Amino acid sequence: MIESYVLGLASAEERTEFEKLCKQYPELKAARNEFEIALEKQLMSEAAAPVAGVKEQLMSKIRQDIPAVKSKLINMNTTNSNQRSGGLRYVAAASVILLLAAAYFAYSFYSKNKSLKDELAKSQEEQKSMDNKLKMVSDPNVAVVSLKGTAKAPKSSASVYWDSTSANVYLVAKNMPKLASDKQYQLWAIINGADGGLQPTSLGLFDVGEDGKIILKMENANKADAFAITIETKGNKGGPNLEQLQTMGATRL
Amino acid sequence: MPLDTKQWLDKSKTVLFYKKGETTICNPLFFCILYHLLIEKPTYNEPDLVSLLKQQDEQAFSYLYDNYSGALFNVINQIIPDKELVSDVLQEVFVNIWRKIDSYDADKGRLFTWMLNVARNAAIDKTRSRAYRDNMKNQTLPEDVSVFTNQTVKQNTDDYGLRKLVNKLKDDQKILVELSYFQGFTHEEIANSLNIPLGTVKTRIRSALTQLRILIK
Repeated sequence: MIESYVLGLASAEERTEFEKLCKQYPELKAARNEFEIALEKQLMSEAAAPVAGVKEQLMSKIRQDIPAVKSKLINMNTTNSNQRSGGLRYVAAASVILLLAAAYFAYSFYSKNKSLKDELAKSQEEQKSMDNKLKMVSDPNVAVVSLKGTAKAPKSSASVYWDSTSANVYLVAKNMPKLASDKQYQLWAIINGADGGLQPTSLGLFDVGEDGKIILKMENANKADAFAITIETKGNKGGPNLEQLQTMGATRL
Repeated sequence: MPLDTKQWLDKSKTVLFYKKGETTICNPLFFCILYHLLIEKPTYNEPDLVSLLKQQDEQAFSYLYDNYSGALFNVINQIIPDKELVSDVLQEVFVNIWRKIDSYDADKGRLFTWMLNVARNAAIDKTRSRAYRDNMKNQTLPEDVSVFTNQTVKQNTDDYGLRKLVNKLKDDQKILVELSYFQGFTHEEIANSLNIPLGTVKTRIRSALTQLRILIK
């Protein structure tokens, strides 16, 4: 009986009878429901995709069906329950996008800003040191000492800018060949001793790049009769190796 | 910006975006979330769906179509082999569902059962229509049930749906289910045309359907 009722094969009298019985016996109704679910599962499991092309026509057909007054009423009803939740869904999605976009942009602006700041500080520092060097060159108190290449390095030449009031020493080197990695150049201030001997004072070790040019601020020198550059082992702490004298120049001729 | 905020941003950035060469690419996960929020339609439970349909809610009807049209198409197709005609009937069926939803009573069965019967009835009505019979000129009137049977059974696809299960029945049961369920003949019509007593037709159909119910489980 359940089957013919569910499958629509029961006659009108049989149907009424069965419905009555279902009301009386909940277990009969449960068995009917069980069969209905099994049938639905069976038929739904094999179902193809929704049939295309039919839907558009169908939707416009049923829209004509909705009487104007009724549809207005329904719209008012549904805004309270369903359509609002649809709207909320969009609002929620939109705010998620906005939040994520805002976070992303905030982060990227933050990191860009930070790197710009770093760069600015770096170039300001560079400019400051360049300014100091330039000031040296134009200052009348600054003596320019040309260091000429010795027989060992005839092409090497360098200038020392020596501020006799502040004792600042700047070195401008040209054509200094690049050294092996375990060697460094060293600038010396040389003072003629009272006994006629030479007293060298180190003004610092330095490296020269590939192009052989360099502008450096060296250690201060209060007194100097000459400046000289030698090649020393890296980090030299002793005196000058005068055999490796590259350039030299006297402060007073 | 405090450091913890920065770290948080850093983390969320690696979750949502990642770098591929020079370009930053959005994590697909992000799109999945968006898809769920925006595209995926809500699903309804049956009582809600029915009450919305009774209020003539278009969105609910659209869901109904998306969810059930495939299954109902198959049901109709097992009665009417011509696919183009099936689409026409399917459309009629859904218009009927829309118009008659007020007559659906959940106490009497599930929504799917009701729609299944609306679809079956519409399909059988179609095969009874004059235009349909004119189209199939070589077919005869209902009195010649046996000729009808042999043709339709062959024309229909029988590898899915109820017919697939019906084919597992014994031959004498199969014919009776074919005639009553798929072609909509009354027990009397079947008894007359097959020359079997009405009581026998009834008991055989009943046992065939019981068998079918076991197969469906």
